[in-house]
Amino acid sequence: MSGQALSGLKVVEWSDFVSGPYCGKLLADLGAEVIKVERPGTGDKARSYGPFPQDIPHPEKSGLFLYLNTNKLGVTLDVRTATGAQILSKLVEQADVLVENNPPREVEELGFAYKRLSEINPRLVMASITPFGQTGPYRDYRSCDLISFNASGLAFVNPSDGVEDPEGQPPLKGPGHQGDFVAGLSGAVATMAAVLTSRVTGSGQHVDVSEQEALASIMRSYLGLHAIEAMTWKRLKGSIPGMVSDKYHCADGMVYLLCGQDRFWAQWMKAMGDPDWAQNELFQDRISRRENWDAAKAMIEEWTRERTVEEVVRTADASRVPCRPINTVKALANSELAAARDYFVDVDHKEAGTVKYPVGPFKLSQTPWRVQRPAPLLGEHNEEVYCNRLGYTRQELTVMRAGGVI
Amino acid sequence: MSTQKLPLEGVRVVDFTAIWAGPHVTQWLAVMGADVIKIESNIRPDAERAAFIRTTTEPTMSAVFAALNYAKKACTLNMTNPKGRDLAREIIKVSDVVAENFGGAVMDRWGLGYPELKRLKSDIILYSGSGFGRTGPYSELPAFAGIVEALGGMCLLNGYLGSEPLPMATRGYADLTSAQHGAYAILAALYHRSKTGEGQHIDLSMTEVVGALLPEAIMDYTMNDRVPRPQGNRDVAMAPHGCYRCQGDDEWVAIAISNDEEWRAFCNAMGNPEWTNEDRFRDGLSRWKNQEELDQLVGEWTGNRTRFEATDILQKAGVMAGPSLKVEDVAHDPHLAERGFFVELDQPGIGVLPMAGLPWKVVDGPRGDYEHSPALGEHNDYVFKELLKMSDEEMARLQEEEAIL
Repeated sequence: MSGQALSGLKVVEWSDFVSGPYCGKLLADLGAEVIKVERPGTGDKARSYGPFPQDIPHPEKSGLFLYLNTNKLGVTLDVRTATGAQILSKLVEQADVLVENNPPREVEELGFAYKRLSEINPRLVMASITPFGQTGPYRDYRSCDLISFNASGLAFVNPSDGVEDPEGQPPLKGPGHQGDFVAGLSGAVATMAAVLTSRVTGSGQHVDVSEQEALASIMRSYLGLHAIEAMTWKRLKGSIPGMVSDKYHCADGMVYLLCGQDRFWAQWMKAMGDPDWAQNELFQDRISRRENWDAAKAMIEEWTRERTVEEVVRTADASRVPCRPINTVKALANSELAAARDYFVDVDHKEAGTVKYPVGPFKLSQTPWRVQRPAPLLGEHNEEVYCNRLGYTRQELTVMRAGGVI
Repeated sequence: MSTQKLPLEGVRVVDFTAIWAGPHVTQWLAVMGADVIKIESNIRPDAERAAFIRTTTEPTMSAVFAALNYAKKACTLNMTNPKGRDLAREIIKVSDVVAENFGGAVMDRWGLGYPELKRLKSDIILYSGSGFGRTGPYSELPAFAGIVEALGGMCLLNGYLGSEPLPMATRGYADLTSAQHGAYAILAALYHRSKTGEGQHIDLSMTEVVGALLPEAIMDYTMNDRVPRPQGNRDVAMAPHGCYRCQGDDEWVAIAISNDEEWRAFCNAMGNPEWTNEDRFRDGLSRWKNQEELDQLVGEWTGNRTRFEATDILQKAGVMAGPSLKVEDVAHDPHLAERGFFVELDQPGIGVLPMAGLPWKVVDGPRGDYEHSPALGEHNDYVFKELLKMSDEEMARLQEEEAIL
């Protein structure tokens, strides 16, 4: 894989599900060689999560797994066996980076503490991505995305609107696996920083990424306002306080429109044909407008309800007022924006067939993001990695498979 | 304590970003040791400086600005003045990265597009962040998190079962996740440069980031032509899985059970109430099918405890559980405190205050640079006299000519 940004970087990914694998994907998609280690038999948990074509579960056809593991080599390995642990050590010895998201206690018990690994490979960067990090009173807490999302404060401030009884609703986690994705993402940034350091000093590092912290970092404005302005929040209801931006029903869908801010208000009123109601003194100065926003919004929505999404957006664009349709993923997939930006890429996979995947979210002019290979079948590269690189014979592979090592 | 260097020591960033998404990118770089020079001017400061201030302690240092700009240096350059732009070029000549997140091709109009930057410094890395990309039909439109999340499909997936669309814009979710992708891309570009001497142009679209974090929803559409809807706190497989009300005012505990073993531990921890023996909760599939009733019954147990009590009991039993924290709880969380997540920023005009650090921790390694967020033009002397080696007279003249403004 020459000519890519991370060509030549060798990564072992001993991780499962979303957080570690997203970190590994970010590295693999920019050209790092990533060997993904999965448990024999069932493999990565994401293989059982779907979505599946026609809703038929199949370990080689999970949309989540296929997306998260593009560009990786895949091997099976039971690290809990003595031989398995030995093999992982050998892989780590030859690698620049180890990405793992296992519970810290297990990692130590299995003999893979950074201290030991750095003795066999002093330049190794070990990126540990866990719910609560390597230290602290919650270090060994059992957790998943839901738990971490709530432990960061993000669930509490996620708007509890859009239903009949917002007061009765619980704090809301983000859709899908936001927490785990963000942890993996923070892991990738931290990993690359450590790689840059290792390149200069020749010494590796142990990077400690906590999902709770990765998500609490996204709370930074709330935490800043709490520290400096002594603010606290009741659970948010829909729109963001102080932004007077909101969703509006149209004749055939919904838009998200920012028209309440000072810089957009006059333009938007003009675009709506300077309606009489806007002359009311309630809406003239910004403080009063904010206080009476519900009334203003209701009047604006009377206008948008009579028009299609397309018309409302066109009107807003002409006046340079921010407004875009609230898209389903289907609308997004079929939009001119998606087409112009090559938003999707077709990936061929031996079992899953050809499916459209979202592309990497950055365009690099000299070393573009690309899919060189699809996600691996379970154990697909056992022979290539164990025989060609580690020197095991095919017969030894058979013995190991029979013994449940691979 | 470590005397190791920070990863980006020796890397200089010319930072034209403002508001949220851009500054969080350069915040990561600054904390990791880069010399980040924020370009503003008195006639056009970063608008976030004045945003949402309630007290009048320091009118150009809002809480949000302080939370997004620590460890950076700030200078004032009037980019509408050709001489100001020339000064920018001089700074770029001695820098490694240029970062911008304008709502349109402002850099091109200033004569500072990527081809021109390359002429100034052949291995320059230009980072362009935007709502919709620097190419395509919306390249001239400014972005806002709610808009981007709406367009990117997030709004229609965030929400309770059967709910209307809800932005997760809760103060910049799209901005800050985009920013981290940007920081990652810049580091990858620096790695590439270290091996090849080649820079490049990074074009990041926030709308694309939204999609990158919702791939299973997108692929349900591309595989099955189906449009997924919000699932609230529900999971594809786990039940119980959600937040349950506890004692106190709007206080909740999050609980997730992923297999029969955890279920048995959970039942034991609750003292094996009668209802846990019912057939309809016997196995994973039945629990998933009957989760509405299950949620109600679990809520009766949690309703008699505080969220911390419930967490403690369940974690000791080996069950995934945790309190739902409010902002003030996070600020006082003992775990985050012990891990040093909050950094004491000595912010002039405001005081010494605990601010959220970055989730970047190197074991036995260097602590990040957490210098206070800069005042407008605070580092003019550093930038113009030290970096550009100007004399006092030259600097005064340029101020008079309103290039430095």
